[in-house]
Formats: sequence, structure tokens, C-alpha cells
Amino acid sequence: MRDRNLSLRVQSGPRKPGACNFSKTCYLRAMASYIQAQNLALTFRPKNRDPVTALQGLDLEVGKGEFLSLVGPSGCGKSTFLNVLLGLLKPDGGDIRLDGKKITGPGQERAMVFQEFGLLPWRTVLANVELGLELKGVPASMRHQRSSELIKLVGLNGFEHHYPHELSGGMKQRVGLARALATDPDVLLMDEPFAALDAQTRDLMQLELLQIWDRAKKTVLFVTHSIEEAAYLSDRVIVLTARPGRTKSVIKINLPRPRDYEMRLTADFNDIKATIWNTLKEELIARTGYGA
Amino acid sequence: MALKEIYTEYQRPILGLASVAGLLLAWELVLTYLIPVNPFFFTKPSLIATAFREQVLGGRLSHDLIISSRAFLWGFSCAIAVGIPVGVLMGWRRRAEYTLDPFLTALYASPLIALAPLIIVVFGVGLVAKSVLVFLLAVFPFIFNAFAGVRSTDRLLINVVRSFGGKERDLYFKVILPSTLPYLIAGSRIALGRGLVGVIVGEFFAASEGIGFAIARFGDTYQLPEMFAGISVLMIIAVVVTEGMRKLEAVLAPWRVGQEAR
Repeated sequence: MRDRNLSLRVQSGPRKPGACNFSKTCYLRAMASYIQAQNLALTFRPKNRDPVTALQGLDLEVGKGEFLSLVGPSGCGKSTFLNVLLGLLKPDGGDIRLDGKKITGPGQERAMVFQEFGLLPWRTVLANVELGLELKGVPASMRHQRSSELIKLVGLNGFEHHYPHELSGGMKQRVGLARALATDPDVLLMDEPFAALDAQTRDLMQLELLQIWDRAKKTVLFVTHSIEEAAYLSDRVIVLTARPGRTKSVIKINLPRPRDYEMRLTADFNDIKATIWNTLKEELIARTGYGA
Repeated sequence: MALKEIYTEYQRPILGLASVAGLLLAWELVLTYLIPVNPFFFTKPSLIATAFREQVLGGRLSHDLIISSRAFLWGFSCAIAVGIPVGVLMGWRRRAEYTLDPFLTALYASPLIALAPLIIVVFGVGLVAKSVLVFLLAVFPFIFNAFAGVRSTDRLLINVVRSFGGKERDLYFKVILPSTLPYLIAGSRIALGRGLVGVIVGEFFAASEGIGFAIARFGDTYQLPEMFAGISVLMIIAVVVTEGMRKLEAVLAPWRVGQEAR
């Protein structure tokens, strides 16, 4: 399976039903807003420091099964937004809904892949992947089976009984991904998941993520600093303004799927990157003052 | 070559035993040949060993040990049972920290051993008073280390467990306690030393049996080898228990093995 991932294909393979092929049904699927944020606002009020407005008037819609990336200047509230969506942070104002229901706390239909992995050091790979199932109250034998499957899926078989400190960064994030997928959530939140990895591991993980996404049909919200990564993976890229974060522009990525590494060398791909960059540049200038 | 490999493998016990043996030998030789001190005032390892043997064979030693360890175990167990929950609560709940902090700091910093006469007056001579003294001395390292351990818990891991639907209980058992465990083991080493002080001092003040009583009595009657025999027993126990804790750490916290920096 891994070999197939790595082969550099220009020709797209046969499509599975339900995969996005820019037909009318797909367009409708993307339009039905599965996640809906309206006028979202959040201000952090740390003790003895000035308050920081992370989000203000953020509107955002995500379709079911869509792969959406968020890019924006550092500190524009991308991670904050993911944490609100995850249910760990409560917004001060506005409204955020998943499938029409207001989000009030964490839920089984959402799972996060954390930038710094967030693996429990005292748990083996297997036990880390089992965490969500354990908290859900799934019996031990079923947990084992499901976790073993996912460990295989992310290519870590043979490492079930290793501790996180014995793994490389890429392997740790595979565990993080397997853990998030274990509870079979509908929405996968990814907060710069590959930022801590080296470039080659990152390329590999991106390909595998696309494969898994294509098969598992999850809605993915992906926060990244890399324009290339956003363009490569997403159906749409949302550029956020400098803090406080609002949607500045939505860029649709009309590139065929499945996507592969070679596609990143095409002129179309570079045009898309340029579009994202030009939008983002204004915000970077607004934030830093450089290049004005 | 083979010898060198054995040395590398067992460097720790070899160097440890060699330094102890060297010190005992030097002590013996100096007192035998260089400064022949009157054995009434000072003693040497060979005499201590003889006294030790006699005490073991006479059954007196094991009796004293059982008496003292009973008090120690009661006090120490209570210190664990009270210290860990209080420390964890203080680390996790700010209100608990602010409320309890003044008492704990005052009690930890002051020489609690000064309370020994009072405790004996209140609880009488015997098991209860000694256990209370052990408890008072041993509980603070558990409280403070549990507190420090909880405070050092990684915020990210708390968020991870929360994000998967973990409740307060899950946070305690799946994140806070495991990450506090290494601190608790370090704390128990300190508590061990303080607890031993508690037993011995309790028996110094008022007792008719126990290892501390034996040491005090032999000291009062200038039976130095016998007194040193009692002291060495305490030392051996302390070393054995500390080593046991090291092993316990390897069993309880296998994820930390191999993370040493040097």
C-alpha cells in the first residue's frame, strides 16, 4: 500500500463514488454547510496583561466531507478557532454549529491531531491510540482490535508496545493521527500537524493523509503555515486576516484528485500558490509592517 | 577484556561496594595501628561486627526491629494516604492551595521534632505516639512533591484527554497521577529519611523497646559497639529501601527508563 502511495502518478486513478469530481452533486455537497461559524469572537484575558482579541466577527462554513485549510499570519487565531470547534474554548460571542447543533463542549464526532503530538508518555503506542475509545467506554477487546487496525493503517505495525520517546517525530504524529481516527469522528481537526516534521517525512505524511481522507470520507479542517501544503491538500483554502482573525478570502482549489507529488510541479499549482500568497501578503504586511 | 566488560556492566555496585569496604578497612586499620584510642570512647568495625552478631543471635535485634517498623509502617502509610491526595488537590485546585499553603509551609519549615514531647504527652508512650510522629515528618514531602508534580503536568495532555471527552476523574487518573508519579517517588525517598528520624526520636524520648530505644540505652551505658550495631542496622535498612524504590520506579514508570541525560 505504501509503495502505491509513493509512486509519482500524473494520471489520476479511477474515482470512487462520492469522491469530489466537480460534478453538480459534489458542488451541492460542499455547499451544504456542515460546520457553520457566525460572527465568532473570542478575547483572551490573561492576568496582569493586556487582553488579546484572537477572533472577531469570524464567519466560516465547511461542507460535509470537505478538506478545508486555514492559513493566516501567526497569531491570527487559527488554532484558537480549532480549539473553539473542538469545544475546549468557549467563544465570547457569535455562534458555532456542527450539523445544525450548537457546539458546547468536546464531542465524539470531532477529534484533533495536535501539532506537538500530545501523546501520553506513560502509554505505549497501542494504549495511546486506545485513549479515545477508552474514554468512550468501549470494551478492551474491541479497543485492541480497532487500535491495531489503525496502527497498521498508519504503518506502525511492530511498534505497538513502544513508548513515545522511542519514536521519531514522524512516527509520533502517525500515532496522533491513528488516535484521532480511532473513535471514527466525522470531523478531523489538524493544528499544524506536520509542522514539527522534516520535509521528507512531511511529504510522505501529506500523501498518506490524502489517501486516508479519500477512503474515510472525513471532514478535515487543517491549519497550516505552508501555502504549498494548503494548496496541495485542500478543496478550499481560507485566508484569515491578521489578528483579530476574520475570513479575508476563500480560494477554491480546482485541481483533480487524487493528487500526487508531481502535481505540485505544474503551472496550475503554482498559479494557485501565487493567488494564496498574494492574498496573504497584505495581511503579513499589515501585521509586521515589512514590505509596505 | 572480559573483566572489563563485567566492570562496565556492574560499574555501579562495584564502585559503591568498593568505597564502603575501603572506608571500613581504613577505619579499622587507623584505630588498630595508628591511633589506638581507648575502646571505651570509640570503636571499630570488627568490634561492631561482633556486637551485631550477638544481637542477631540473641533475638533482641529482631524484636526491636519489629517494634520500630510497626510504628514506621503505620505512620508512613498514613503519610502516603493523606499526603498524595492533599498535594494533588492543592496542585489542581487553586482554592485548596491558597487555603492550606500557610499551614503547610510553616509546618514543613519548622523542626517538627520539637513536637515530640507534646505528642508523647497526648498519645502516651508506645505505638500511637511514634506513628503520629512518623506521619507528621513524612507527610510533607508527599504533599509538596505531589503538589509540584501536578503543577508540572503538561497542559497539552490535559487538553488532549479533555478533547476526547475525558471528565475530571479521567484527568486525575490518566494524566495528573501518572505525570506526578516520578515526583512522588523522589518525595518518598525524602519522606523515608524523615520518617526514620521520627521513629528513632520517638523512642529516644520515651520507650521501653525498639531500635531507637536500644541505641539510646547502649549509648547511655557506653556500650559503643552495640550502639553502632543498631545504627548500622538503620543505615542498611535505609539503603535497602531506597534501592527498592529505585527498582519500583523502573517498574511503575518504565517510560522514564533510558531518558537519563548523561
